[in-house]
Amino acid sequence: MSEGSCQLVLFQVGARVFASRATDVRRIAGDFPDGVETALGETVLGRPWDARRGLVVGLDGGEQTILVDGVLGVRVVPDADIQSLPRFASDILATNALKGFAVLEEMPTLLVDLPTLVREGPRSRGTPREENPPHA
Amino acid sequence: MSKQEQGSGAPGPAQRGGSPSVADTDLWYFAVRLGEGRYAFSAPLVTEVVRLGPLTRLPSAPTFLLGVFTHRGEILPVLDLGDLFLHRPVTVGPGTRATIVHAEPWRVAVLAEEIEGLVRVPKRRVGPPPAAQAAGEFLQAVVPDDLGDIAVLDMARLVTAARARSVPA
Repeated sequence: MSEGSCQLVLFQVGARVFASRATDVRRIAGDFPDGVETALGETVLGRPWDARRGLVVGLDGGEQTILVDGVLGVRVVPDADIQSLPRFASDILATNALKGFAVLEEMPTLLVDLPTLVREGPRSRGTPREENPPHA
Repeated sequence: MSKQEQGSGAPGPAQRGGSPSVADTDLWYFAVRLGEGRYAFSAPLVTEVVRLGPLTRLPSAPTFLLGVFTHRGEILPVLDLGDLFLHRPVTVGPGTRATIVHAEPWRVAVLAEEIEGLVRVPKRRVGPPPAAQAAGEFLQAVVPDDLGDIAVLDMARLVTAARARSVPA
């Protein structure tokens, strides 16, 4: 990977495509011998349709699997094509897991912070977003 | 008073002999329409009007935060005022235009049903927002012109109220 670029894993949840930094993904799970009960299903990204794959994330000395519908591949993206989430959106959204966008083929693809997504947990009992005063 | 709090003095002729010029007595606003209502931002906060590009939706976003689109390489969030104020989303099509509002620290593409444009109002006619009105919590002032009242929006109040509506209790 050249300087000034980063590797992104592209994955799909439902109809939407997301990106995450490859360094956040320990491995990709293709089967679930222990069942999917312990894996993270519905998150702020939505509910996977058939959850055929899992993104395994290392966290706090352990591992957590996030269920996704598919892993589309790895892309090397110039740093210049990574943009942070606009302040207005970050002030409004009830999650800290959406960090920004990777501009792929001129379309913004949401960049997800997987460790934060895991920490926030299932959507039904997600932790509130950190307060970010509008006047700060 | 900051630009966020007040409209803009117009770039009028130079003041002569101590008499007030247009710049001293008038304020400029950029107005849009939603149904029967007229809303405005202080004119200096509006940087341009652009055609809305393809949208990327944001998961778990409130319905008034329609998504984002790229404009000259910049990613802009799209705020639907119709949905936020009236619970009546603005119809989006290939020709839909958005007003870009830049009120630090926010830069937002705002959707309304119709773009009216620049309006000049005498400073002395600027009044406080009414206590009870749709979108009243977002307002900083009401200014009248020949066509009726215009509700002047305050971006900071708008973000605070929008955030309160988007975070479940």
